[in-house]
Amino acid sequence: MLQKIYDWIDERLDITPMWRDIADHEVPEHVNPAHHFSAFVYCFGGLTFFVTVIQILSGMFLTMYYVPDIIHAYESVYFLQNEVTHGVIVRGMHHWGASLVIVMMFLHTLRVFFTGSYKKPRELNWVVGVLIFFVMLGLGFTGYLLPWDMKAYFATVVGLEIAESAPVIGGFAKALLAGGEIIGAQTLTRFFAIHVFFLPGALLGLLGAHFYMIRKQGISGPL
Amino acid sequence: MSEKEHKVSRRQFLSYCLMGVGGFMAAAAVTPMARFALDPALEAGGESDYVSVASVDDLTEEPKRFDFKVTVEDAWYESEQSRTAWIYREGNEIIALSPVCTHLGCTVNWDANEDHPNQFYCPCHHGRFEKSGKNIANTPPTRPLDVYDMEVRDGTVYLGRTIQR
Amino acid sequence: MHRGKGMKFVGDSRIPAERKPNIPKDYSEYPGKTEAFWPNFLLREWMVGAVFLVGFLCLTVAHPAPLERMADPTDSGYIPLPDWYFLFLYQLLKYEFASGPYTVIGAVVIPGIAFGALLLAPWLDQGPERRPIRRPIASSIMLLAVASVIFLTWESVDQHDWEAAAQQGAIVDFEVDEESYAFEIWTTQQNCINCHGGDMLGGAAAPAVFESDYSKEEVIDIIKNGAPGMPADQFEGTDEELEILAAFIANDGQDPEDD
Repeated sequence: MLQKIYDWIDERLDITPMWRDIADHEVPEHVNPAHHFSAFVYCFGGLTFFVTVIQILSGMFLTMYYVPDIIHAYESVYFLQNEVTHGVIVRGMHHWGASLVIVMMFLHTLRVFFTGSYKKPRELNWVVGVLIFFVMLGLGFTGYLLPWDMKAYFATVVGLEIAESAPVIGGFAKALLAGGEIIGAQTLTRFFAIHVFFLPGALLGLLGAHFYMIRKQGISGPL
Repeated sequence: MSEKEHKVSRRQFLSYCLMGVGGFMAAAAVTPMARFALDPALEAGGESDYVSVASVDDLTEEPKRFDFKVTVEDAWYESEQSRTAWIYREGNEIIALSPVCTHLGCTVNWDANEDHPNQFYCPCHHGRFEKSGKNIANTPPTRPLDVYDMEVRDGTVYLGRTIQR
Repeated sequence: MHRGKGMKFVGDSRIPAERKPNIPKDYSEYPGKTEAFWPNFLLREWMVGAVFLVGFLCLTVAHPAPLERMADPTDSGYIPLPDWYFLFLYQLLKYEFASGPYTVIGAVVIPGIAFGALLLAPWLDQGPERRPIRRPIASSIMLLAVASVIFLTWESVDQHDWEAAAQQGAIVDFEVDEESYAFEIWTTQQNCINCHGGDMLGGAAAPAVFESDYSKEEVIDIIKNGAPGMPADQFEGTDEELEILAAFIANDGQDPEDD
């Protein structure tokens, strides 16, 4: 049955070459922990991606209950965590996953650095990777405000004060991020939009480029 | 005629046109959105609203406490918050100090502690300020009390936002 | 592969009519112990992923995501703290060379150089050598950077008053009877309100008055003699009023007679 469906689609769209291209790329011995246990350091990139997938999924589901409004944001988070079945797990996944992404990405970055994998011809992939790092930090910063509790609010106040201390553009940057002079209703909607649409959009594009380049160039050779 | 005899070949010309039209489409679509997103930053720094707080006749050399309400406008939300000011006159000058202790945000009182007369005193951590609002050395606060932006019209004191010194 | 003239297509589409066989590459094509990605290696990866996921789910169940009380922008006494992965930047701004008039150095210059160097690493370290030991400068700079990030984070965690912050952020759940005579007494006590707030639920410098479980006598003693961080003799009124207020506080915001 499955085979028939596959054949039916393949006849119309010729998907076999694409499928074989994904399935058949080789995994060399030096990155395979089954052969050298120390090769587990090559797992961090994959785990980062795995947690990112969890983040995207849990985030999508959180927006079913969450309201980005200063009066209701806190109540909606409190509700989804305490009243909704498994809410504590879904919010927990998103909360702890955010930290895990940073940890895994940090380890992945160190692996790539200390194996010298960013050298020619893989410079561009390193740059894209560092950009992903920045996007993730941005997601962390904007996401932290959304529950609108005490620590969220005052962490953002401090963060925006730091932004304000930048010369020349500081005041403008702060007003742009905060959506005005007070950190309030407009800051929350802004951070929500950035957290849910702008940065994930950028992230998906960068991840696509990151993976395309890995497949095109192959993984870096043994040291 | 072959394409090589022209300085700009047909293909190049069409490419330039394509870039031009593409650039126009991108710019026309993005411009309103960009201005939309930048609006709060460009509109920021508006004048502060002044609220009438006290009559000049009520003021003395001694700081007096005045409570007043301000309307805080946060986009589609308006809320009333109460504020307090310590106001006194010095000759012709009128000074309005914010009562928020610059240490941890408690509220200071004038002449409230018997050991330290004629000073602003904060009960939380014994922070003290001189009458001018200057913080007294070796007490917790590290900077003077904020002052209110002030205007006097028709014998009435109007206060605006607080200014850090 | 068949190209050009004589090629057959599916209907009027551009899909070649000739089917390509869906067979994996011959494993002997790969050198040494190289493995096929699908399904061999991916299965191993997913096994690791499954273990990882179980641990992760256990974490989310064991430690629910924290949620403090709703943001109160007027509560300026709260000790702010960013999420842990920004702590090193936050800590950097506490040092003298990076604060006050030099904030620009701590907020822009140092992070700018660090992250700029990270972004441009391939051009800063152009040699062909990949082993970390053979490129000591790059390796040692990175080790130093990692060490300082860890050190700064540690310092920040160490200096933060976690207990006070937890208390400041705790969700307050008291219903105060604002109709009662005791609450009326409270509204006249400017000294108390200054710190504990007009609603008795905590303010600029002190927690809600109901936070600790004291008896009426203990409350009276604290109001009269002070407590750590709270000055003595701030109550202005008769002993009778003090007693009513203390009973009200000891009873978590309700008149005792109501019970």
